[in-house]
Amino acid sequence: MSDGLVEILDGNTFVVSDSRGDIEASLTDPTGLFSFDTRFLSKWILTLDGERLNPLSVDDLQYFEARFFLVPGTGTVYVDAKLSVIRRRAVGDGFHEELTLLNHDEKPVDIVVRVEAASDFADLFEVKDALQKKGSYSTQVDESSLRLVYERATYRRETAISASASATFDESGVTLLAHIEPHGSWTTDLDVVTAAGAGGTYTKPKYGGKGRRARPNMERSLDKWIEDAPRVESDWEPLKKTYQRSLVDLAALRFAPPVMGGQSLPAAGLPWFMTMFGRDSIFTSLQALPFTSELAATTLLALGDWQGSRLDDFRDEDPGRILHEMRYGEMTAFEERPHSPYYGAADATMLYVVLLDEYERWSGDRKLVRSLEQQARAALAWIDEYADLLGNGYVSYERRNKETGLENQCWKDSWDSISYRNGEIPGFPRATCELQGYAYDAKVRGARLARLVWKDPAYAERLENEAADLKRRFNRDFWVEDGEYFALALDNEGRQVDALASNNGHLLWSGIVDKSKAKAVVGNLMGPRLFSGWGIRTLAEGEGRYNPIGYHVGTVWPFDSSFVAWGLRRYGFKDEAAQIAAGILDAAECFNGRLPEAFGGYARTVTKYPVQYPTACSPQAWSTGAPLLLLRTLLGLEPLGEHLVIDPALPQGIGRLEVLDIPGRWGKIDAFGRGRAHVGRPGSRRQLGLVEEIMPKRKGKKARVTA
Amino acid sequence: MSDPTGAFFTELGRRAHEPMLRKATGRLRFDLTDGTSEATWTVVMKKGDVSVSRKKGDADCVVTTDRPLFDAIVRGEKNAMAAVLRGEIKIEGDPELLVLFQRVFAGPADSVRRREHAVAGSSS
Repeated sequence: MSDGLVEILDGNTFVVSDSRGDIEASLTDPTGLFSFDTRFLSKWILTLDGERLNPLSVDDLQYFEARFFLVPGTGTVYVDAKLSVIRRRAVGDGFHEELTLLNHDEKPVDIVVRVEAASDFADLFEVKDALQKKGSYSTQVDESSLRLVYERATYRRETAISASASATFDESGVTLLAHIEPHGSWTTDLDVVTAAGAGGTYTKPKYGGKGRRARPNMERSLDKWIEDAPRVESDWEPLKKTYQRSLVDLAALRFAPPVMGGQSLPAAGLPWFMTMFGRDSIFTSLQALPFTSELAATTLLALGDWQGSRLDDFRDEDPGRILHEMRYGEMTAFEERPHSPYYGAADATMLYVVLLDEYERWSGDRKLVRSLEQQARAALAWIDEYADLLGNGYVSYERRNKETGLENQCWKDSWDSISYRNGEIPGFPRATCELQGYAYDAKVRGARLARLVWKDPAYAERLENEAADLKRRFNRDFWVEDGEYFALALDNEGRQVDALASNNGHLLWSGIVDKSKAKAVVGNLMGPRLFSGWGIRTLAEGEGRYNPIGYHVGTVWPFDSSFVAWGLRRYGFKDEAAQIAAGILDAAECFNGRLPEAFGGYARTVTKYPVQYPTACSPQAWSTGAPLLLLRTLLGLEPLGEHLVIDPALPQGIGRLEVLDIPGRWGKIDAFGRGRAHVGRPGSRRQLGLVEEIMPKRKGKKARVTA
Repeated sequence: MSDPTGAFFTELGRRAHEPMLRKATGRLRFDLTDGTSEATWTVVMKKGDVSVSRKKGDADCVVTTDRPLFDAIVRGEKNAMAAVLRGEIKIEGDPELLVLFQRVFAGPADSVRRREHAVAGSSS
């Protein structure tokens, strides 16, 4: 509900309206009904007797449903309380709106109800970049519906509008005459359905069914989603709220790609990234594994289906490469954008193997791992065959699509994210450090799967040797002696791009860091230049390009910090991991349980609250997943064979933390953590991360097997 | 006159096994029109084993498009998935079969491997 806008969504269909429920979009205004990267409604304005309405309140009941309470008259002082209006709207392959008028007067009334409707059929890329359309518009009016049509050669998109009450349709909307008895009410359903392709094959409306109270399928599936998820109990109340918010948002961000037969995987975020992303889906699936393995399984299958098979410069595709982004809009269709799909990510392919292994460790699902052997081998082969652009044994990237491809193909994908200490930007190809960590981890994990599941010990040994060799060279070539951390990248001449950045935390997570260097790396991560008190800054304070509200050059990304915390645990730095978890969870509380994509890198001692980054996506999948991964790191959950190791390390402020019914190869397990009981002053908000001293000792760890 | 589509299917059938199709199992039919004439190929895939026939029987997925467009696709001049989004290719049935099958189409002829240096120190 940022900027007074109301957003409801289901999969990759979403509606953004003002607080009246109206849509009045311009080419650059992001309101509308969007589906599959296309805006299907850009105007949807309700009037009664020619007058706009005035909002009293909005309930966004569920992520897929909102209710607007309105009264006639747009004046700010006087509202005519003789009549009130309720718009209840649910999204699902279009949307369904139940419009109710209540007459509070003692006399009957007759009212002209009018909805103005239009669509610009803008591609999301056009909304983002404000581009002009190339096709033609038309409308079809009959007795029962209005169809808005956009055509460009064989490309066709349609929006059909119909009503349950008697209505008259014209080219710009629908008119209904409401006669309402004293203290009576009048209702109509309005249906807006989207269609793609010639002949307008409409998808089935999800809200269908009969009666006005038909529940969307999504709602039932949300109930089940929440019922199936582990429960979280804690004496620190905000954590339960944050967890609940994360579960619901993750449900909202599930997206079933057309080929996956209703199985879902996490999409990236609202509103710009409601589509399939390789990197985001993988990171989110990793974060969510202790709570659900369904997202990981679908992500692995869907990304495997689309794995690159040939060289295609326009799409930056290579054999074995895992996609970066899939889009369905007009510009993709006409190859004005390369997202059909686009492969320009240098990390997703290696992370794919990491996820496959981590998925097996949690779920024990060897069948899936066996069925994806070929995909995993192709991904591992890509590392050396296609990603080593300089022939120096390191993964690097340089786009081949010079016009619409991505310059930075790592997760920090803005133009200025990779820089030297002095702020200068290196040339291409660039070998960012975390890519080497992921490559190392992919080989180590690939070796484990090769030995265990694919029964190919020779291949396993080869991968292990390559991993060991990579680790040895990496610790030599990337180590910045005078700062005691790893360089952000090597440039095209093999020189260190020597800025200090959060990427060091991902290196800990990958396991590529020599044990002897870990302490110094942790010192840098937890030092005042990177740790803001809330989380880890993407770029250290004091670097040339540092800016506390620069997208990848100083803001704190909750997802990033969650993986840093995991890395700290991996190297045994439990208290430091708990300190980061505490900061991010405190921030989550400030954002009502919903962490944005990024927030300002200002020191916590200066701002007291986290400052939201201006245009951050929210909800966003891997931010939503961050509290889940932090719960894992706090409890020290680690699958070991058929068992789950539980090794809690709680920050001061949390006395008790329980995650109940953790699903996995062990059936279901409860994990308990006990900290030092510490009750805040009554009436004051207890914050975790403000406590200077980290709990020196933890006690009371135990695990109970319930199934 | 060259016949890229005919050559593509003949060659695919000759291979009998195609590792890139190992994930696909099902019958995929291509109905290709060229003016007034229609030509059909049916590809039966099972865990990488492939057989190709000219029969027009039942299929799990039917792909309908113009022969010249399909010629361009198998030559790597056009992208199949973008053509689907444009509405130039119609799919009936299970679209996943086409997603899995499109892996065997060629890439653009001018997309060549960039490798300025030989691999050093990575594998081996």
